[in-house]
Amino acid sequence: MTVLARRHRSTIVLMWAVLTCLSCGLRPAAAADTAAPQDAVQMTVDFLAKDDQAFRAIGLDRVRYGLKGEAATKQFAGLLSKLAPARQLELTAALADRGDRAALPATLALLMASQEPAVRAAAIHAVGSLGSGTEVAVLKTSLAAADPEKAAARRALTILRGNDVTPLIVEAAKVGEPGLRPTFIDILADRRAVSALPDLLAAAVDGDPAVRTAAMRALARFGGPEQVAGMVQGVLKAASGGERDEAERSLVTVCTQNPGKEKAAEALLTQFKAADDATKETLLTVLARVGGDGALAIVDGLIADANAGKRRLGLTALAKWPDATVSQRLLDLLGKSQDPTERELLLATLIRIAPLPDNKLKDKQKLELLEKTMSLCKRDEDRRRVLERANAIRTIETLRFVAPYLDDPNLAEPACLSVVELAHHRTIRDANKDEFTKALDKVLGTTKNEELIERAERYKQGQTWERKKPAKS
Amino acid sequence: MAYDPASLDKPFEILKAFDWGGDASAFQPIDAAVVAAHADPAARADLEKRLATLLGAGTSRAAKEYVCRKLSLIGTAASVPSLAALLPEKDHSHMARFALERINAAEATEALRKALGTVLGDLKIGMISSLAGRGDAASVPAIAALLSGESKTAVAAADALGRIHTPEACQALAAAGGITDKAAGSAIADARLACAESLLRQGKRAEAKAIYTSLSESAAAGTTPTAKATRLAAARGILACLDTTTTS
Repeated sequence: MTVLARRHRSTIVLMWAVLTCLSCGLRPAAAADTAAPQDAVQMTVDFLAKDDQAFRAIGLDRVRYGLKGEAATKQFAGLLSKLAPARQLELTAALADRGDRAALPATLALLMASQEPAVRAAAIHAVGSLGSGTEVAVLKTSLAAADPEKAAARRALTILRGNDVTPLIVEAAKVGEPGLRPTFIDILADRRAVSALPDLLAAAVDGDPAVRTAAMRALARFGGPEQVAGMVQGVLKAASGGERDEAERSLVTVCTQNPGKEKAAEALLTQFKAADDATKETLLTVLARVGGDGALAIVDGLIADANAGKRRLGLTALAKWPDATVSQRLLDLLGKSQDPTERELLLATLIRIAPLPDNKLKDKQKLELLEKTMSLCKRDEDRRRVLERANAIRTIETLRFVAPYLDDPNLAEPACLSVVELAHHRTIRDANKDEFTKALDKVLGTTKNEELIERAERYKQGQTWERKKPAKS
Repeated sequence: MAYDPASLDKPFEILKAFDWGGDASAFQPIDAAVVAAHADPAARADLEKRLATLLGAGTSRAAKEYVCRKLSLIGTAASVPSLAALLPEKDHSHMARFALERINAAEATEALRKALGTVLGDLKIGMISSLAGRGDAASVPAIAALLSGESKTAVAAADALGRIHTPEACQALAAAGGITDKAAGSAIADARLACAESLLRQGKRAEAKAIYTSLSESAAAGTTPTAKATRLAAARGILACLDTTTTS
């Protein structure tokens, strides 16, 4: 659709909305309103017209919270068309907060008339606050515009009230402009539209990857056990790579974080058991990421299988485990395995899971596991990874474990990093000042990394260091 | 825990000789007794008597402060004479007021009112503040008389009348004319706003609006930030008075 055609359509939709709004009879904000005294309304109007911002603020405050009643609302809204854009902006925001639908026709008229993006965005926000299902069409049109109008429309569709709103957005998500269908799904997720769950499941197997991804993302927000079977289909439909990975994560979220997660995990296991071999292979990663005894039995079976392919699948699954409950199993396998590839995989898994914050182990046990892992490492490359990972266990014992490696030229750099990371945490550092000073001195004499040097010096002086924020892409 | 007077002998002995830097943890049994005596009038009277005795000469400022804090919790009219005796004393007046302000007895107010007429300077400002804290309507004439006095005292008096905000207090503020001191003038305007807001909260819109309007008119000519702030507050108040659709 061309820009002109879109604008034309937008104008028609707006005009229709204004007319509908005018003809349908307006609901007042509160049924028990008494009319606001005209002298107070006039005084407010006078304040709104003042150049002094402080006086305008008094007027806007009254528009927001006082002078109840439809007549006053209409009088305030009537000012919109006469004000300069900056004033239109502030009054529109105040009328949106006032929440009286009687301001809607004037707000829609402003949207139709104004060319100022900020004013249009404010008007769209007000339509979201004051409108109902009738206004979905207007907001849908604005969703196709550029920001800030688009962002305002998305927010407005999220806050729009009325029983008819969700079905209309569902409809748009099904048959709307292809580029906007994922956005409508995101809006349904923001609205926590539980009634739309069946539609989201249908969208999870849509032909459009963007729609599928949005649907799985939405299901991750508030899906439960009943949605697992459908989400499994979503995972299977997803193209391997980024989309599959994101779909798997959504399903894992439902099975590990959402209400009813235990039942959801059971449902996943049931789905897995009933699947054919090819499907099982696809779902095995999800199953492993969810973890649990049932999944572990399946993974154990695969690892014990004489078929090398199945064993590899089992080991790959074990490498995805979400916590350290499998640590002993990993250590046993590592002790027995002679295959270098297997050993590398098992070791990497141990290094990853040992310090996990949610692994149900106490800090002491985490460190013991990491020390044991270190003793099994045969390559400096693996030892370096252990040392780098160690700083996730924030205890003085970790410093004592890491510090000796500062003297090993091959491992000094990751040891320096971990010492500095541990020193970052003031509670451990201040409680063990002497030990940290000694270790930080050694870091300063060892590392060539400028950032580590700066940090070590700051921590030694009892100062903080602000972690650099990652650059926005 | 039951009140056990014998267990307090030693802590009271330590308290008698206590000074800054001493070990205040020795008073823990007294703290516990204050809690225990709360629902036991006989124990409370005994404890109060033992504490009040220490307010006389021979104890340090630190000990007296501790006693005042405890009397603020369990004190009655019985403690008032001992506390009132400290009101004219520069070092002890503050903590004596701290206790009297919180003692639920007319005698406490009376003692503060009496001291208002006798003490001077910062101590007088303290009495004004404590009487305002107790919302003492009877002290309005005495406090109002101070509006035309020295700047700091006049500011405190204006603030106190705003906090008491009875019709008489509001009247006294409105009647204060010829105040040339800027700080006092500004404090009077603030206090009148407090009176108006109180009236508005009570639903007395007309009376409140009269004050707001008067303030708005008198501040209209002013160009100082204070005058503008008063004008804005008054304008907001007038609008609130006119808006009968909302409760303030």
